[in-house]
Amino acid sequence: MKESKAPSLGRTPAQKFFDKWQGLFYLIPWIIGFVVFKAIPFGQSLYYSFTDMNFFNGIHEYGVMNYIEAFTDAKITKALITTFKYAFVTVPLKLIFALFIAYILNFKIACVNLFRTVYYIPSILGGSVAIAVLWKAVFRDDGLVNTIIRAVTFGNAQGPSWLSDPNYALWIICFLRIWQFGSAMVLFLAALKGVPADLYEAATIDGAGKWKQFFSITVPMITPIIFYNLVTQICQAFQEFNGPFIITNGGPRNSTTLISILVYNYAFKSNQMGMASALAWIMFVIVCILTIIAFTSQKKWVYYSDER
Amino acid sequence: MSKAISRRDFLKVTGAVGAAGLLAACGGSSNSTAASSTASSAAAAESVAGLSTDPVTLTMSWWGGESRHNAYQDAIKAFSAEHSNITVNPTFAAWSGWEDTMSTKFAGGVAEDVCQINWNWLYNYSGNGQTFIDLNSVTDYLDLTQWDDAKLGACNVANAQQCVPISMTGRIFYWNMTTFNKAGITEVPKTLDDLMNAGKTFKEKLGDDYYPLHLGAYDRMILMVFYLESKYGKDWADPTTSTLNYTADEIAEGIDFIKSLVDGHVIMPLPTYYGANGDGATHQSNEWITGKIAGIFEWDSAASKYQDALDEDNKAGFTVGEEIKFGDYNGGFSKVSMGMAITKTCKNPAEAATLIEYLWNGDGAAIMGSECGVPASKAGLATAQAAGKINDLVAEANDKVMSFVSCQLDPLFESSDLKATGTGVYQEVFDTVDYDNASGADVVDTLLDGMSAVGYNV
Repeated sequence: MKESKAPSLGRTPAQKFFDKWQGLFYLIPWIIGFVVFKAIPFGQSLYYSFTDMNFFNGIHEYGVMNYIEAFTDAKITKALITTFKYAFVTVPLKLIFALFIAYILNFKIACVNLFRTVYYIPSILGGSVAIAVLWKAVFRDDGLVNTIIRAVTFGNAQGPSWLSDPNYALWIICFLRIWQFGSAMVLFLAALKGVPADLYEAATIDGAGKWKQFFSITVPMITPIIFYNLVTQICQAFQEFNGPFIITNGGPRNSTTLISILVYNYAFKSNQMGMASALAWIMFVIVCILTIIAFTSQKKWVYYSDER
Repeated sequence: MSKAISRRDFLKVTGAVGAAGLLAACGGSSNSTAASSTASSAAAAESVAGLSTDPVTLTMSWWGGESRHNAYQDAIKAFSAEHSNITVNPTFAAWSGWEDTMSTKFAGGVAEDVCQINWNWLYNYSGNGQTFIDLNSVTDYLDLTQWDDAKLGACNVANAQQCVPISMTGRIFYWNMTTFNKAGITEVPKTLDDLMNAGKTFKEKLGDDYYPLHLGAYDRMILMVFYLESKYGKDWADPTTSTLNYTADEIAEGIDFIKSLVDGHVIMPLPTYYGANGDGATHQSNEWITGKIAGIFEWDSAASKYQDALDEDNKAGFTVGEEIKFGDYNGGFSKVSMGMAITKTCKNPAEAATLIEYLWNGDGAAIMGSECGVPASKAGLATAQAAGKINDLVAEANDKVMSFVSCQLDPLFESSDLKATGTGVYQEVFDTVDYDNASGADVVDTLLDGMSAVGYNV
């Protein structure tokens, strides 16, 4: 079908100008928002990161001192390590769990729509302050979890002090994120439905079992979605703030202090915007590197149907 | 046709989302604001325009609990009835997170016209007089003679009267005598021995879950200073030069004193408290509400908040205690509890000063009562007393504190980097003592390093 050409003859210069630039005109609100709320703060924070910018004292020093301190200060390096731990625990577990549930929900079972809805609910609620507060209540010493532990052991065992023991607190924060697997699950579910049924029929005829089919057909066919979920989840994990801020406020003994919490503390408790900006940029660079690694590695493990 | 995903489709979807996600990764820093509010000091303090007859809108902010919110709103309503051309738009919330919000507003030059402020904010956010106006410029509308010179002097920073003190405050013990009676103790603790004996008795008669006193990390620091001042008779630090007056050994002794309270079952170990309540406020903890924690060392203005939180079985037992003399001297300090300031961005300072005059010197004081402590203004106190709006508990506590304490507080003591819940140096020190069973000598350097970092001469 031929494209119809808009008649240009007989149009005034103003109309011609509008015809040429109207697309940009429609985009102006978004462009203004992007420049004001993203691009300028983005550049400004890079500038601040090379200064000792303080809200109330201004700038007195320029240099890389914030970056040097970030990698030499024990508190900051601990927060960096904790952030990596958090990301490397939550991202794989969340993806595995989401895929597992999506795989089950892809079967023709009774009330499947109800289950899909129920499993998605935590993701709707997940980022909210209320859920973080609820999590805190569930894991306190006399909270639901320890009450259940006492009940099933007939009062013989007392659960650990989840929120005050540095060995457990990070796991509680991780668990909150893993529990919010709904959005990843929905994407997996859509991908699973896109896997051609004739591949399974052929595999069955060839004698392949369910496990063989899963790892040789299902997983390769949904690798683009695994890849997408991996990248987005890494980005989100490194930005996590609400859970540790509300549940433990970075404690006990900084065991749940992620870099995002340090950024907040430096910026709004200590007013050290220079240091906060440097930490934000370090976080940004880390996420970029991990994303580049993921994109580079996809040639080896992500299968696209339009490629041989 | 295959339903499998093509690279082209995939990239279309992920392109925009990925870019937005990565940009958001540095979102934490995108709240950057202008360097300093110094440039926004356009509303000069030297002279102010007179009261306008045109409609004027003021903004005002404060932190507090429900009863304080109600009192302020009632007072504002009464003020607007008297000054029909002035509308006051309030912003208020609980203390938690309030300082972070306000400091950002001060830095951005967008704070409210009239602000209830903490005393140390004068030093932290207006050390050069860049944030608040000099109230000497509005004396036509605000009668500064209603405050004692000493109290006004505490709010004079950078040669400017940056706020008027709403009230003076200090720390005192409050006891839940219902629980004490259950343990067979009928008198409030008056000596250190009484305290130690109460710890022992609580453990023996009521069990491991009951403690005669609770102190959070910041409370421990204040009591430690109280103890050292009682013993050595000198201020914690020089209020003008911020030179620390104590040696490392003396401070270690103070920390060990706090540790002895933990070891003696007088106060709950911090990990135990965190396990039950996170870093939540004591008056909201189940242990306080139900009487398992039977004492606090708190600001004199906090009496009603703690009493109101108790359940019906315990409420009647709430009692203002006595200051405990731990040595030869009267330790402890009083300070300006909070102040009222006008920001330099306020376009109507005369009206703003009129509002402060109404709230703390005028009829508004009868509505505010002791919601912010016992009024420091002489006229305000007389008005509130005449209206019967001074809470007896608050008045009793304030009397006891003011007649006992003898030391001065330096403005750095309350620096956010030191006292902040979760991140402050005080918490780091006392967490280490409890988690690692560390001694004062083990952690004193952490405290001194932290103090040095905020500007103390140690």
